[in-house]
Amino acid sequence: MRIEVTRECQTLAKEIESLTGENVNLCYQCRRCTLGCPTACDMALKPHEMMRALQFGLEEEVFHSGMIWMCVSCEACSVRCPQNIDILRVIDCLRELVMSERVIAYNPHPEIPSMHRLFLTLVNRYGRVYETALAFIMNLKMVEPFKDIDLVWPMITKGRLTGPPRKSGGLKGFRQMLSTTRKIEGES
Amino acid sequence: MRYAYFPGCTLDASAKDYDMSFRWVCRSVGIDLEEVKDWVCCGAFSARARSRLLAVAMPVGNLARAEQGGFNQMIVPCSVGLARMRVAQHALETDRSLRDRVDEVLEERYNGTVRVVHPLDVLLDEVGVETLRARVNQRLRGLKVVCYYGCSLTRPPEVAGFDDTEYPMSMDTVLRSAGLETVDWAYKTECCGAHMTVSRPDIVLHLAHRILRAAKGAGADVIAVCCPFCQANLDMRQGQIAEAYGERFDIPVLYFTQLLGVTYGAYSRELGLGRSMVSPQRALENYGVL
Repeated sequence: MRIEVTRECQTLAKEIESLTGENVNLCYQCRRCTLGCPTACDMALKPHEMMRALQFGLEEEVFHSGMIWMCVSCEACSVRCPQNIDILRVIDCLRELVMSERVIAYNPHPEIPSMHRLFLTLVNRYGRVYETALAFIMNLKMVEPFKDIDLVWPMITKGRLTGPPRKSGGLKGFRQMLSTTRKIEGES
Repeated sequence: MRYAYFPGCTLDASAKDYDMSFRWVCRSVGIDLEEVKDWVCCGAFSARARSRLLAVAMPVGNLARAEQGGFNQMIVPCSVGLARMRVAQHALETDRSLRDRVDEVLEERYNGTVRVVHPLDVLLDEVGVETLRARVNQRLRGLKVVCYYGCSLTRPPEVAGFDDTEYPMSMDTVLRSAGLETVDWAYKTECCGAHMTVSRPDIVLHLAHRILRAAKGAGADVIAVCCPFCQANLDMRQGQIAEAYGERFDIPVLYFTQLLGVTYGAYSRELGLGRSMVSPQRALENYGVL
């Protein structure tokens, strides 16, 4: 990665530190995170490159690469970092900045945050995940209505394509909790 | 032994076989389960991407339910649910201001008295290998099993408290107690792609292919799992993997509770063995069951 520094650049690093307590400047580029990352080969910016980019305040590179969405949250990077940086916590923090629209940036993998949003919408509706609806609506959103069509019939015969979840008695309180959370987060 | 039981969304839907076989094994070894009343989603991979407060409050709401029900232990067979519960518990203990905000959004106080445990912990530490061994009445001689623990079960180590983060052995120990032969391999805690199965199946095909190849290389007849995501990703997509990579595996992927159930003499339908996409019929039939 070629880095050109044109301005003072610790702003995002400082924000991450204040939100998570993680200091990205501790990273000395040993690349253990990248070596253990199951999806690094699909990332335009590898985990260790993301850490370097954050040290130099290259926000566009980080967000535009979409690497925070390619991360599957397996936590191998955080477990193996010799500097004990919780790299996944840093990625979660960046995802949170985008999902809450505090950062608006181009993303080459919009289907992934879109899946997270849909997941939370369904959970808000039922209190639990409605798997079949999640898969079907995602297909429509991705304009690939026949994605995984070959799995539908076997899944039906095996009883694995299920209807809406049982309704939880805790749904009302749960929805209340979700809306209070949104309110609190809106204020901060 | 009385435990609050948090099945989670998948065990109540596509992973019913895990729920059925888990309940069966518990009955068989004397673990009393009571489903957490009015449980809701733990937030899985999505709440954490939205907000930390949400990612902690969702599991804690369920822990509070268990606490109000008078339980001090909650058993969570789903690795993802288990990890979310434990991480949330840990976050409450270490982050004062987060704790206050969680209380505020939940409009109740969770006192932190519920211990979150995985079935493997309970089988090893509470039930004990001797009792497990005594339950076996069906030998599966010669069946080779690889134990696939997945990524969520043992991480992060300070929270999970599992036997070994990178090279766990507890599932091997439990299955060996049932007379099964577990073989060594290097992919115990590799990630299967988890939720990407919905938005980016191509990534899951790639990761699952690597894991299946390693299992085949280790000479496995069956892959034992303890997570509904791992089961779905390794089992359901074997046909697509054969098409994409020109390599057929036909390795059945079973929950460790299903394998225990078989050796304890359960009927196939009690364990939901017919729900796997790759039928375990052939692998198990050679050994005189089903």
